[in-house]
Amino acid sequence: MSESFLSIRSVRKSFGATTVVQDFNLEVAPGEFVSFLGPSGCGKTTVLRMVAGFETPTSGAIVVAGKDVTRLRPNQRNIGMVFQAYALFPNLTVAQNVGFGLKVAGMGRADIDARVKEMLALIKLPEFGDRYPYQLSGGQQQRVALARALAPKPKLLLLDEPLSALDAKVRVSLRDEIRLIQKNLGITTIFVTHDQEEALSISDRIVVMYGGKAEQVGAPFEIYNRPQSKFVANFVGTLNVLEGTVSDAAAGKVALASGEIALPGHLGGARNGDAVSLALRPEAIALGQRAGADTRLAGKIADVHFLGSVIRVKVAVGESIVSLDTFNSPSAPPPEIGQPTQISFSASDLLVLS
Amino acid sequence: MRRLWAWGALFLGLLYFVLPLIGMTEFSLKMRRGEYSFDAYAKVLGDPRFQETFSYSVAMALFTIAFGVLLVVPTAYWVRLKVPRARPWIEFVTLLPLVIPAIVIVFGYIRLYNTSSWLPLTGTATGTNVLLMFGYATLALPYMYRAVDTGLRTIDVATLTEAAQSLGAGWGTILARIILPNVLVAVLSGAFLTFAIVIGEFTMAALLNRPAFGPYMQLLGANRAYEPAALAVISFSITWLCMGLIQIVSRLAPKPPSQPN
Repeated sequence: MSESFLSIRSVRKSFGATTVVQDFNLEVAPGEFVSFLGPSGCGKTTVLRMVAGFETPTSGAIVVAGKDVTRLRPNQRNIGMVFQAYALFPNLTVAQNVGFGLKVAGMGRADIDARVKEMLALIKLPEFGDRYPYQLSGGQQQRVALARALAPKPKLLLLDEPLSALDAKVRVSLRDEIRLIQKNLGITTIFVTHDQEEALSISDRIVVMYGGKAEQVGAPFEIYNRPQSKFVANFVGTLNVLEGTVSDAAAGKVALASGEIALPGHLGGARNGDAVSLALRPEAIALGQRAGADTRLAGKIADVHFLGSVIRVKVAVGESIVSLDTFNSPSAPPPEIGQPTQISFSASDLLVLS
Repeated sequence: MRRLWAWGALFLGLLYFVLPLIGMTEFSLKMRRGEYSFDAYAKVLGDPRFQETFSYSVAMALFTIAFGVLLVVPTAYWVRLKVPRARPWIEFVTLLPLVIPAIVIVFGYIRLYNTSSWLPLTGTATGTNVLLMFGYATLALPYMYRAVDTGLRTIDVATLTEAAQSLGAGWGTILARIILPNVLVAVLSGAFLTFAIVIGEFTMAALLNRPAFGPYMQLLGANRAYEPAALAVISFSITWLCMGLIQIVSRLAPKPPSQPN
């Protein structure tokens, strides 16, 4: 990574006796788009609010562009923020909202007008300058909020669940628009979300948070395919967990209720008799025999969910239920519940969870 | 049948309220023997003491409103933003003027700020005016605070504040350009109520010996027949005008934007 632009160093935040963020460290490169992903109460918004200056860390430091901003007030940081609740000023028009930060900064009228025009063109609402926030839809309001945050050319852009209040279609289109604008402007961005699909699709890197800590930091591909903890594996994507016992550590063999499988070189330091959790993504499993799959397990169809283009099938394998996805084919009906079947996968796709 | 009772009760209530007013208005028009005229009104409006006391009370009302807004808006805002737990206590304090009689407050003022005290405000006319304005602001506090607090409830104070802060605004800018314009209708409601209270107030002005409209109405009522009725009608009209203006400005309020669920 190139030299970091945002540096969060050993930050801790306590409210009374409750510690909500503990020993949080993160380096963000210039122009990088980093998402904080985690369930409610994991501390992701608290970290974002500390970067914005709305909360003061109990300990640790926050450095932006080489300057320690830990004790600076929010209005001294030049950090743009977009809120989940839009937070447009109801008494101001769209143009006045976008120009608010510029006016506060003491910019001249002509410069403000030019910049507002540029920003409204950027969010594709050039004709909306004279409207009031109540005359806009949720998606339009959030785009205006984005333009308002970007207008004063902030050093850093913070997005606090900006899409969660929007309906599914608008969410996807605005998500792509945000990413495009962010790439074009090259602005370093922190995005908070609890939606894994959002985080996976939009980010350069994801910080998966749990219990006030960063569980794993990595690129979306890495987070999804190589989760380093049970929590990350379970939280990001759908995961099948097979519980087993190491039967031959040297050969990488694990005994499951439904048979024995070999994971050469996968078991790390596990010893014979140790309990292990093996995880497998639904897309890594095939119903029946798949070409190239080296492992097969017998089971019974437990449930079938027709999802349109995809059919999600649940197969009872021993005491475990394994989910897998198959494409819908109009010529082949979905499998019937109770029908005996086989599932196959490559042992190399199995993740051993710590 | 139930509707009939409801309409009957409403009619009786209106009769109880309106009849005395009709009687008073009719009486105020009877100054000239045998015919209706506006003589009593002309006499009252032409009285230099009316003009003097009325303009004094209007000026005091405007100062009281300005002081009330400067005191209440930042306080209610700060309480909502930073110490929401203190709201019940603040509400209790702002309700106290309703249970403490004005005469108790004004005697307290006279005792504390008389000419032999450490802050002899009653020693000069300006000092006494300031004292009277504080007194009026105290009397109007329950109405002004409630109006502003209700206005603040309609907006997301915390998020709007944070949005403005992230755009570089300080507390003064946030209050003047974001919070106040968004609660302006509520502030105006409080202001009109304050105006109505100040115009009719008697106790404080009389005991502090200031030339206000309330004591003038009492003085006129004690010495004349038709003019006090005309004055009462004028006073009522001012109050109703204030109430009407509250209704009008409420309809002109900026609409809040749609909020996410």
